[in-house]
Amino acid sequence: MRHPFAGPRMSRFSDESTDLGAESAALSAHGERVAALFREHNRALVAFLQSRLNSLADAQELAQEAYVRMLTQEHLAEVGSLRAYLFRIASNLAVDRLRMRKVRNDRALEDAPVELPPEELHVAPVPERHVSALERWRDLRRALRELPAKTSQAFVMHVIEGRDFATVAQSMKLSERMVRYHVASALAHCRARVDELEMP
Amino acid sequence: MMAKMSDEQILHAAADWWLRLRDPGCGDETMEQWLAWTQADARHLPAFERMADLGSQLDTLDEVSRRQWAKEFGRPTATGRTWLPFAAAAAIALLALGGFLARSRFEAASAPQVYVSTVAKNRDIVLQDGSSVALGGASMLTTHYSRDERLVDLGTGEAFFQVTHNAQRPFVVTAGDLTIRDIGTAFDVRRTGQRVTIAVTEGRVQIRNNVAPYGKAGSDTIEATAGQLISYDPASSALSVGSISAEQATAWRSDRLEFIDEPLSVVVANINRYSTRPVQIADADLESLSFTGSIKTDALQSWLNALPQVFPLQVSQDGHRVTLSDARSKPAH
Repeated sequence: MRHPFAGPRMSRFSDESTDLGAESAALSAHGERVAALFREHNRALVAFLQSRLNSLADAQELAQEAYVRMLTQEHLAEVGSLRAYLFRIASNLAVDRLRMRKVRNDRALEDAPVELPPEELHVAPVPERHVSALERWRDLRRALRELPAKTSQAFVMHVIEGRDFATVAQSMKLSERMVRYHVASALAHCRARVDELEMP
Repeated sequence: MMAKMSDEQILHAAADWWLRLRDPGCGDETMEQWLAWTQADARHLPAFERMADLGSQLDTLDEVSRRQWAKEFGRPTATGRTWLPFAAAAAIALLALGGFLARSRFEAASAPQVYVSTVAKNRDIVLQDGSSVALGGASMLTTHYSRDERLVDLGTGEAFFQVTHNAQRPFVVTAGDLTIRDIGTAFDVRRTGQRVTIAVTEGRVQIRNNVAPYGKAGSDTIEATAGQLISYDPASSALSVGSISAEQATAWRSDRLEFIDEPLSVVVANINRYSTRPVQIADADLESLSFTGSIKTDALQSWLNALPQVFPLQVSQDGHRVTLSDARSKPAH
């Protein structure tokens, strides 16, 4: 990942701080605090964003955007917990991004992402790529069959069909907490199986 | 924590956190607790990352597989059994209504088959029901056959279908937002990203647009007959009807790509299914230029050479790629 304090945005920021003279010390302290946040929490921030966006690339992009927002924030000194503030900004950015994706899907205003961009067809041979994805689905399906019926059902209803916990709980006559427990069990089991197959 | 947690317990905890954090309504407090958890043990954050990675993978699962998983795991076996006769009745009722979404609940579907072709290679395939498919270059097709239905998904590229008709076991092709149902037919489907064209060469097909056009409610279904060309534009989510001869529709099988009023971006994407060097469009304004004509896939170079005479663009190439750029905004080399 490109360091968020490198590049054109940051240099604009530095120009500003030299021009502002007296405020420059405050501004660089400000930058230093954000840099510390980056060092300590970037990995968690990206992981958090990936859980919302289901895309590592989008997660990295929005994490960077979140730091830029912090850097350009004037009243950062007044913020209580910078870390909580950073994650709140990131969370809002994720909500906006998901909304934008939904609008695109709904109206199909933009060509939806091509599954195999033409250039990639040249780089990677199609067969391997797809067959391996297919093998992964087969393995995951097998892993689900090893689970109790309720566990796989809760998982499929929530993760695959996209129903919220309340809906799943109602139709399975379970508490939402139990549904979440089942879904988490299925996820842990699937992850363990995928790891076994990927790292024999 | 009393004892050290096992890897299994950590994975379960990571999954639980993943589920909680995914909820956009989760508050600062949950976030703080999660951060504390990630810092409590060096194995926690990596476990969470692996979970987020699994989530990202699952997110790419295609529609057809999603329906299959839902069918297989969606209901517990115990209630499933007593429920079957009703499902069967419902399925029959839906079929009688001509419902597209009638799905067999009688049996587990057979394993999906994937067919792929490489760049510049067409492939002829005979499917298990005797229907034949000619697959264009760099294309991908997945079949999901069950006793009551033949589902085929065109992931990318082009395919010409000659379907063995069986009203009891509909042949349904999905391509992006469209569902194409055969009514005794031969037809060609070309999918370029989300853009789809369907050329009917024999018989009839029913085409359903699963995305409501902007400002219109519901979805629309049209029936197309031999000689018709249906184009789906993802920008407007609309279907339009034109005409095309059977010879034009299948010209690609004899190394000739035919385009009728297609954007240059679509033309280039299809050429790339046959070109050994990828062709790229450098300036976005070139993408929407409309092209009608035929291109010999075994003589792409001569088409590229002629292109600047037709469009305001210039062609630059090296051993690895061909770039089309706007001739108006840049000085010629």
